Amino acid sequence: MDFTLNDEQRMFAETAQTLFADTCTPDHWRKQMETGEARDDARWQAIVETGFTLLLLPEAVGGLGLTELDFALIAEQAGYVALPEPLVESAGVAAPMLASLAPDHEALSDPSATIAIQHPSNPFVLDADLAAAILLHKDGEAYLATPDQVTLTREQSIDPFRRLFRVDWDPAKATALGKVDWDLALDRAALFCAAQGLGLAQRAVDMAVSYAQERQQFGKAIGTYQAVKHHLASAQVAIEFARPVVVAAAADIGNCDVQARARVSHAKLVALEAAEKAARASIQVHGAMGYSWEVDVHLFLKRALALTQNWGTPNFHRSRIATRMFTQPTGPDQTFARETENA
Amino acid sequence: MKILVPVKRVIDYNVKPRVKADGTGVDLANVKMSMNPFDEIAVEEAIRLKEKGVATEIVAVSVGPAKAQETLRTALAMGADRAILVQTDDEVEPLAVAKILKAIADEETPGLVILGKQAIDDDSNQTGQMLAALTGRPQGTFASEVTVDGDSVTVKREVDGGLETVKLTMPAIVTTDLRLNEPRYASLPNIMKAKSKPLANKTPADYGVDIAPRLKTLKVSEPPVRQAGVKVPDVDTLVAKIKELGIA
Repeated sequence: MDFTLNDEQRMFAETAQTLFADTCTPDHWRKQMETGEARDDARWQAIVETGFTLLLLPEAVGGLGLTELDFALIAEQAGYVALPEPLVESAGVAAPMLASLAPDHEALSDPSATIAIQHPSNPFVLDADLAAAILLHKDGEAYLATPDQVTLTREQSIDPFRRLFRVDWDPAKATALGKVDWDLALDRAALFCAAQGLGLAQRAVDMAVSYAQERQQFGKAIGTYQAVKHHLASAQVAIEFARPVVVAAAADIGNCDVQARARVSHAKLVALEAAEKAARASIQVHGAMGYSWEVDVHLFLKRALALTQNWGTPNFHRSRIATRMFTQPTGPDQTFARETENA
Repeated sequence: MKILVPVKRVIDYNVKPRVKADGTGVDLANVKMSMNPFDEIAVEEAIRLKEKGVATEIVAVSVGPAKAQETLRTALAMGADRAILVQTDDEVEPLAVAKILKAIADEETPGLVILGKQAIDDDSNQTGQMLAALTGRPQGTFASEVTVDGDSVTVKREVDGGLETVKLTMPAIVTTDLRLNEPRYASLPNIMKAKSKPLANKTPADYGVDIAPRLKTLKVSEPPVRQAGVKVPDVDTLVAKIKELGIA
């Protein structure tokens, strides 16, 4: 499996990195937390103009027809800035699903519109109040409703930027869209959670490294002490080990089989474990102030914890890996083999 | 009208440069490189002129190593129509760059050449002015506003005392200051289109330019570490300290 990104993909990632670095700074986070605003309109506008919301939509509905790997690169950068807007859930999961069910739906014709999704694996729906449409689940069937056709109750999240809602709704008032592959939505979401995990982890390490180079103790920067260096090196190693797993899962997701699903689950587990490990290490390196609201590391730990429990718990994902291990041949020669090859 | 926009691949503005241990230059190993920010402003201005219908074609040019292709691809993704890479692994001084640009300008006959006022790696601030001298074209440097009207271009310049407005007959040379515009992000569809836009590979020899350095770098060193401040108990002591330091 070739994990090398092409020039185009590197430019996608660089564009996302630059855009988010300019528009999602610590000042932006604090302002948004103080005002309680759901979105930064200027940032969302820039995201829309850059085409990120169209990335996974088919060309037939005005999208770019790109792949999950391309979107994962954007999701990683979104993780690096703990992006408050629901770009990943809307453009990465809900919009492609709606496009497969109702390609002519008006919510797809406006690139700035967001689509929320209620999935059986999640108790609550992200940003449901501001969505142009909400995809709903009942007995394996998909339904579509607008926020005014459902009852929304705000629920608290550990992450100050995740706006969660319990959605109570009546199928008679929603539009039935028919059967849909909810597992594909889960796989995409879990994959993009993993990609965000890489970004969260890297930001936590970068913040810690920057602080460790600056903070002096006993006349030297604390980063020169082995106890600090080892913590951060372990966190970086976890990131480097998780990255190829995420890329492999992104490259393989389209196969929609036991192997591909195990890869996605593996990616979600290791990337979010890396994110939590890096955030906890970063808090340790920042010392007592690492626990304070003034240091932004808490945002990354909270996002990592929130994503870990969303789109399948760790136990659920471990069970999918177990299914792969116990039903398919294992061993070094089977790492990249498909089950069809062993049928 | 055609617009020529030279762009330079430099160390990214977010990266803190580190001097090599032997003091011979800045360490560029594994350092993120990107388009010189002033050149990004130049590309953006050219695109805006094209969007207004003033320009018909934007040609991006870079002089540097093969990796400078990435910088040119960024310019193409922003909206330039085609690109020319004058490839060399040697360090090229502003005069040699200006000579290469003159040769390209002679070939391409652009109505405007829009350059960044300086590159953030060497801060020379010379190429635009040298190009104007070599080509004998009028120059409007440090532009914070550019308005094309028929055969002339009006440039509002940022000078020490405030703003100066000059009117130049085209063809002309303009160098951009920070406040001229805010460059756009390359959109994903444009990044995809950029791959199919033409990029010509040339060498300095193709333009008959000798790029041998005229300057010798003796030593590169970090700026001195800022000294800690002194706390004074009252204004009188502050005044005495200032006098003692010879500041006032």
